[in-house]
Amino acid sequence: MSSGSPGPPAVRGGMLRRVLSIAANTFRETVRNKILYVILAFALFVIGLTWFLADLSMGELTRIIADVGLTSIHLFGVTIAVFLGITLVSQEVDRKTIYLILSKPVPRWEFVAGKAAGLSSTLLLTTALMAATLFVVHFLYGGKAEPGILIASAGIYLELVLLVCIATLFSTFTTSTLSAMFTLALFLIGHLSTHLVRFGGQSKSAAVRAVSSGLFYLLPNLEVFNLKNGVVHGEARSLEALAGMVGYFACYGGAVLLLACLLFERKDFK
Amino acid sequence: MTPGGAIIEVENLRKSYATDFWKKRTRVLDDVSFSVGENEVVGFLGANGAGKTTTIKIINRLAFPDSGTVRLFGEDGVARFASRRRIGFMPEQPYFYEYLTGMEFLGLCGRLNGMGGRETRRRAVAMMERVGLAAAGGMAIRKYSKGMMQRLGLAQALLHDPELVVLDEPMSGLDPMGRMDVRAIISELKSAGKTVFFSTHIISDVEALCDRVILLDRGRKLAEGTVAGLVGNEVQFIELVFSSPPGGEAGPDMPPCIRFSRAADDLVVRVRNVDDANLWIAKMGGRGSKLRSMTQVKPKLEEIYVERLSGTAGGEGRDAS
Ligand SMILES: Nc1ncnc2c1ncn2[C@@H]1O[C@H](COP(=O)(O)OP(=O)(O)OP(=O)(O)O)[C@@H](O)[C@H]1O
Ligand SMILES: [Mg+2]
Repeated sequence: MSSGSPGPPAVRGGMLRRVLSIAANTFRETVRNKILYVILAFALFVIGLTWFLADLSMGELTRIIADVGLTSIHLFGVTIAVFLGITLVSQEVDRKTIYLILSKPVPRWEFVAGKAAGLSSTLLLTTALMAATLFVVHFLYGGKAEPGILIASAGIYLELVLLVCIATLFSTFTTSTLSAMFTLALFLIGHLSTHLVRFGGQSKSAAVRAVSSGLFYLLPNLEVFNLKNGVVHGEARSLEALAGMVGYFACYGGAVLLLACLLFERKDFK
Repeated sequence: MTPGGAIIEVENLRKSYATDFWKKRTRVLDDVSFSVGENEVVGFLGANGAGKTTTIKIINRLAFPDSGTVRLFGEDGVARFASRRRIGFMPEQPYFYEYLTGMEFLGLCGRLNGMGGRETRRRAVAMMERVGLAAAGGMAIRKYSKGMMQRLGLAQALLHDPELVVLDEPMSGLDPMGRMDVRAIISELKSAGKTVFFSTHIISDVEALCDRVILLDRGRKLAEGTVAGLVGNEVQFIELVFSSPPGGEAGPDMPPCIRFSRAADDLVVRVRNVDDANLWIAKMGGRGSKLRSMTQVKPKLEEIYVERLSGTAGGEGRDAS
């Protein structure tokens, strides 16, 4: 046993190094998970299939490729986010691997942030791969590059990261199964919330209208991230609209992560 | 109380858990206070469910007490974040990221501890060697056996050369060689000036290693003190073995004894003190019997432990020394 040098030990690097280490480890965990490759292989297969789908159907073929392809990227992305995201924190608590991390000089919020960042990097990789595949298929079929596919995929990616933040929040206080169910429920609600508010807003009761608009601000509005129609129908998205989307993402995601960190701060591990 | 200042100071810890939503909370720790001084090796004993792991979790901020405080290195609150760099902790039945190899895991630990890359590498190799995992460093933790995980748990606790080492049942799941290794490591830590606090069920280890012992019973501190202080340095009894006297049985006029028994050809007599022993030797010598052996028997910590823990059912805790 070599004895330590006298005085307090030197600490290399700070918060950023620890968060990045946890993120890198989470990334490594997900890319060593076979489920990821199964889902990803299936997704790329389906995106490839759009080629033949376009052949079978009438109408504007490249549009169909973009439409079906982007929907695939969206749904497979959500599947990956939920499958990998639910186990994010709760599994570490269940398996007690977290004991070995949080007993080191690592503040709890850094752990939460690192986990979310790690999964977001995995999703960046998988979304980029799917988007690139779709872009190439679309280009080969139509002979025209469509940058809208990449922009719409970026929107999907932001939605996935927001779902990761939500899954992180749930997994700090419930089991993996429950947090998966809650996250999926919020995913569905998030795409319907504009409709829900429209129904609520038509109510005669002021209370119902207040509650429905309250819910609108509380629940995530995931339609914000839907740029698919813009691509499919060739409508250009204004830069302001894109900036608004990014702003909404930053505010809502930040608030959710902050809440997750606060809840996690005083958690007792069993 | 302890020389060189206290490294761990635990004061009036209380902790209860809600087992069911509407059921009464069960008290797990009830006013537990103790301290561990610099360069001490302190053993933490208690039956299953006594609250040892709970206390150790509170010390490591993995759980929070209902009331009471924990001070480490004389600091508490926010300052304890920095002091965690000076602690090595091994949880009960440690579990690791199974997709990593042993060395990859130690690399992660080094980065989280704020160690430099080269220093981490050097220490990781040395610690894997020390705990007997040198050959398994590149193997995925998924393939580790229970005892290997236990050893890796020890390696990560010692990686950053901490001043205070807290171990929750370090010997459990280890083979005899492994237990010897852990004993040797704890002794080395002591000679290197470190402080060690560990829970265990293996009392012989406590007797061999610990300067002091803390005995916990159903959430209350039952006793605290040196092993000698708890056991008492007094001789429990003296056992004399005589050859059978040729003149037959011992008569009614024999000196006082605790127990008198026959074993094969021998007479075994237990007496309370040296005076009685001398009386017996003189008496038996007069009858032509030879003294074969004489042993002073001191109580073992194990006996004290069993006696204390069984003697408290519904009773008050007593304090030793
Ligand atoms: N998360 C929890 N929820 C409810 N009860 C708990 C929880 N953790 C511990 N307990 C209870 O607290 C008591 C003490 O548990 P603890 O794990 O501290 O015991 P221990 O002394 O470490 O025992 P062992 O020697 O078996 O490891 C037990 O009765 C246990 O049931
Ligand atoms: Mg225990």
